[in-house]
Amino acid sequence: MKLSTALNRENRGVAATVLVILILLPLAASIVGFVVRGGRDVPEVFLEKADPRWDACVRETEYMRFYHMDFLKEIREDVVRSGVKGGVTLAGCGDCHRNRDQFCDRCHQAASVNLDCFGCHFYPETDAERISAGM
Amino acid sequence: METAEVTATAEPGVPEQESPQDVRTRTDGRKPVLIEPDLEFIRVMGRTGGDSLKMCFQCGTCSATCPLAPDDHPFPRKEMAWAVWGMKDRLMADPDVWLCHHCNDCSTNCPRGARPGDVLGAVRQQAIIHYALPRFLARWVGNPRYIPLLLAIPAVLLWLAISFRDRIGGALGFHVPTEDEIVFSFTPLLPHWLLDSFFGLFGAFALLAAVVGIWRFARALKRSETWGENPKPVKGVGASVATVLAKILTHYNFTFCETDHRRSISHFGVFFGFVALTLVTLWIITGPVNPLIRGDFIYPFSLFSPWKILANLGGLAILAGLLMMIWDRLYFGHLAGTSSYFDWFLVWTFFLVVASGFVTEFLHYLRMTPHRQVAYFGHLVLVFGLLIYLPYSKLAHLLYRTTAMVFAERYGRIVGEPAKKGGANR
Repeated sequence: MKLSTALNRENRGVAATVLVILILLPLAASIVGFVVRGGRDVPEVFLEKADPRWDACVRETEYMRFYHMDFLKEIREDVVRSGVKGGVTLAGCGDCHRNRDQFCDRCHQAASVNLDCFGCHFYPETDAERISAGM
Repeated sequence: METAEVTATAEPGVPEQESPQDVRTRTDGRKPVLIEPDLEFIRVMGRTGGDSLKMCFQCGTCSATCPLAPDDHPFPRKEMAWAVWGMKDRLMADPDVWLCHHCNDCSTNCPRGARPGDVLGAVRQQAIIHYALPRFLARWVGNPRYIPLLLAIPAVLLWLAISFRDRIGGALGFHVPTEDEIVFSFTPLLPHWLLDSFFGLFGAFALLAAVVGIWRFARALKRSETWGENPKPVKGVGASVATVLAKILTHYNFTFCETDHRRSISHFGVFFGFVALTLVTLWIITGPVNPLIRGDFIYPFSLFSPWKILANLGGLAILAGLLMMIWDRLYFGHLAGTSSYFDWFLVWTFFLVVASGFVTEFLHYLRMTPHRQVAYFGHLVLVFGLLIYLPYSKLAHLLYRTTAMVFAERYGRIVGEPAKKGGANR
């Protein structure tokens, strides 16, 4: 159907109604979410602060914030393909960033990015887990 | 301003045989009207798209073919007469200038090429200047010489705000992020409190100018002669506003346009895209104090957040509508009408706002720093040009046309009713 036919005078009311509903849809979704949550706020995205015992990350903060996924893949290539072990491991991240839920998961959930690291890798979160993992 | 005194009766276009002295001493009860032609107004009209004005020989074809003109005192013939005579005051207080949607049926049917559609467009620019507070800003917006200044004002102000960000933020009690804190996206450079206060402050000035403009226009409209003497309202204010909102949402008046019927589609896209973006912005600004929606605004937004989807769709709708407008104005100028600088200013500001918004978004996803911050800065400067200059640019039509439509609805001056149609023109 041509746009001029779809938007002729007779159909304008329907078109405008559909658009108004479309525009109000996110607001409706928000209100439904609010009711479903029982009136509680969604917890804010929060990144755990690094353990102060270590004074620096393996790379600069800005770099890690934007390119940590590429960085991890590079290390994986080095280890798996070239056999070069640089000492940086995923489990080693946990030395400073102790809480996987707060360090990885919340932000990834908010950004709708799936994490497939932990299908294989273990991320120790408590000291007991660390000791039992031999770290 | 040069003035020449001419006298005529209140009915324009009726030749008067009496000398001025006779008119003043006449006893038949009709009030003589002293016309003081505003020659400067006519000259300015000629420079701003109304240069075809003097071609008019008052045949009235325009009023007959206009699909929006009401039966009594139809437009735009009488507006053409007033414009030729330099009767600026009447044109400024005339609702019909704003009931016109620039379909250009009058312009294409005019036997003299007087292009009444374009003349009314030029009159609307003069009305925006006339009701603006302060007026010089509206003159700047209408003059290409002032583009550097109009861009420099928001750029310098925003730069100052960023330079003194931490000191202002600390003094006002806002949270100022420190070096070792983990923060997201644009927050370190342009935190939300800074944008809210910056645009809140200048937005308040713009809102004041808008309210004063509407108030002055409404006061003039009440005394307008277009309604006739002692007009009686046929509708309440609330009912009139509701009807006008429904007509605006459906673009009801636009759908009567024949020559430039494409305007009803391109404007529809830009309108709803603008409404969507404005509402998303308003919800985001009020989010922190509104528990119903507070939970939704977690930064950075997911690409699949309903708000992000709506905002992106809104931007695309504006872009599509604008490209159609630009295309029509460039290649179908005889149908879309002459595009003055004032028209192009709004079209291109709108286009650059949306384009720079999308560029910022892409650079942000590409994690290009500082490119994304630079793009965002440019985007904000342009947003200032669109929103804060609203009462001074062509975008002010959303203030004055809405007001005129509400008055017309209230006094029963209904446009677009097919009552008088069905004659030789169809």
